[in-house]
Amino acid sequence: MKKNVAVVGIGNTAFRPKTDEYSWKELMYEAASRAYNDAGLNPRKEIDSFITCAEDYWEGFSIYDEFVPDQIGAALRSCCTVCGDGIQGLALAYMQIMSGAVDTVAVESHSKISDLLTYSDVLAFALDPIYNRPIGGHPHYLAGMEMRRFLRDSKCTEKDCARVVVKNKTNALKNPSSAYGTKLTTDDVKSSPEVFSPLRQLDVSNLVDGSIVMVLASAKRAKEICDNPVWITGIGWSSDTPWIENRDWGRAEYAEEASKMAYKMAGIKNPSSDIDFAEMDDKFSYKELQHIQAAKLCRKGEAGKRLRKGHYDFEGRLPVNVSGGSLGCGNLIEASGLHRAMEVALQLRGHAGRHQIKKVVKRGLALSWRSLPTATGGAVVMEV
Amino acid sequence: MTFLERSRDPEAHKHWYGDMEASYLYSTGIAGEKFFSTLRDKGNIMGASCPKCKKVFLPPRMYCEICFSETKNWKDVGKEGKVETYSVAHVDIEGNPLDEPIVYGLIRFPRTEGGLVHVISVKPEKVKIGMKVKAKLKPKKERKGSILDIASFG
Repeated sequence: MKKNVAVVGIGNTAFRPKTDEYSWKELMYEAASRAYNDAGLNPRKEIDSFITCAEDYWEGFSIYDEFVPDQIGAALRSCCTVCGDGIQGLALAYMQIMSGAVDTVAVESHSKISDLLTYSDVLAFALDPIYNRPIGGHPHYLAGMEMRRFLRDSKCTEKDCARVVVKNKTNALKNPSSAYGTKLTTDDVKSSPEVFSPLRQLDVSNLVDGSIVMVLASAKRAKEICDNPVWITGIGWSSDTPWIENRDWGRAEYAEEASKMAYKMAGIKNPSSDIDFAEMDDKFSYKELQHIQAAKLCRKGEAGKRLRKGHYDFEGRLPVNVSGGSLGCGNLIEASGLHRAMEVALQLRGHAGRHQIKKVVKRGLALSWRSLPTATGGAVVMEV
Repeated sequence: MTFLERSRDPEAHKHWYGDMEASYLYSTGIAGEKFFSTLRDKGNIMGASCPKCKKVFLPPRMYCEICFSETKNWKDVGKEGKVETYSVAHVDIEGNPLDEPIVYGLIRFPRTEGGLVHVISVKPEKVKIGMKVKAKLKPKKERKGSILDIASFG
């Protein structure tokens, strides 16, 4: 195992549909305080570099990155923002440490999406302005299109997607941070309103507010300050073409490339047997199955079959999203990837509480997607 | 200790409204200029082809995303394509129910990389993956050099 970069601190707020009592800065401060307390580090003196992962339009600011330093302890320190997903932020932190420039890095990502009153309009603004935007409509029709093609190409069914919703929302009942844990049946999912057929209302994750901070350290520093380091042994990221017309609509090729890069670094040859558990992006139910396939956690075309056999259940052979995922915890926008990674680290530490996997887990995968209309994802392998 | 003093009174929470007024003028560029003027004036759908890969890209662009060459040639891809995938929207952008569902789909054209995402004017229950559809152009005098010069595919 490569012991170069370790997770030495984790902090998060609860994930909630609204956080009226906090400004977005206070939300970040809470997660940062918890992470620094967990790491036992004073950010003003003992953390060398700070990275946030955010996008201007979600935040409601121009040049949002300038609004970051103070609430995470980074004023007059090395600080920058990655306009991307939380795992892309972890990748930058990993590189900063590997370059020798710094020994400790805090990575923050959050959602204060309840502050945005026109979510679907901002989403529509992410489409190509000339070829796609004039067509109009709610951009989630793209998820309906992708789901239909994926189901056709993958031997998965609408009922399999409903099974993912049931699994993740049930798992979320054990996670106190989650906002959308509930007990329901596949019939409940299949009878929820059709929104963008074949996509139904319960196939779509709900937006939540929340913030997550992870503190990373070099091997040398980790050994000095941490008695339960979780090692990042592989990391990768990839973007498919932004031309939605040119993508393969049945596959998540960005996730294939990102996970391949992470596996190569971690020396993983057979992901379905070498990975003990995974947290995979599930902002739409079908995405979990598509991502399982892309990350090669099953043989080609077997994601649905394995799901039906219970392989990805809480006590299954390769549990997926025991945290509840985005379907159960809520969709944290750009922070979703960091949430997936945080949950993997907590499991490996044995600190996941009631949703701790029963068997001993040594190696986990977190896989992210920046959601519609992007085709960008990240993958990180962590080990103890 | 401020974090211990969070109010539970919903009426106590103050908010400040803000609007982002942002207007843009997007240049269609060399490829877009050709595509939209040909669509408007001749009613043809043009793809750009790579001299090295021989691939034809739609929507057209002046560079090949496979080999990074300049795409120097143009090709009429025809008006007929096949439905690669589609979705039936039952709600509008605000989430309100639509009176009539709208079918959106990706249309692929023969020997062409990519395609066009557009409205499919076929009844939802009749649409199938792989079905042939044809671009329904607006009358010439109504065309403005926009993707909406194609009214729909059907």
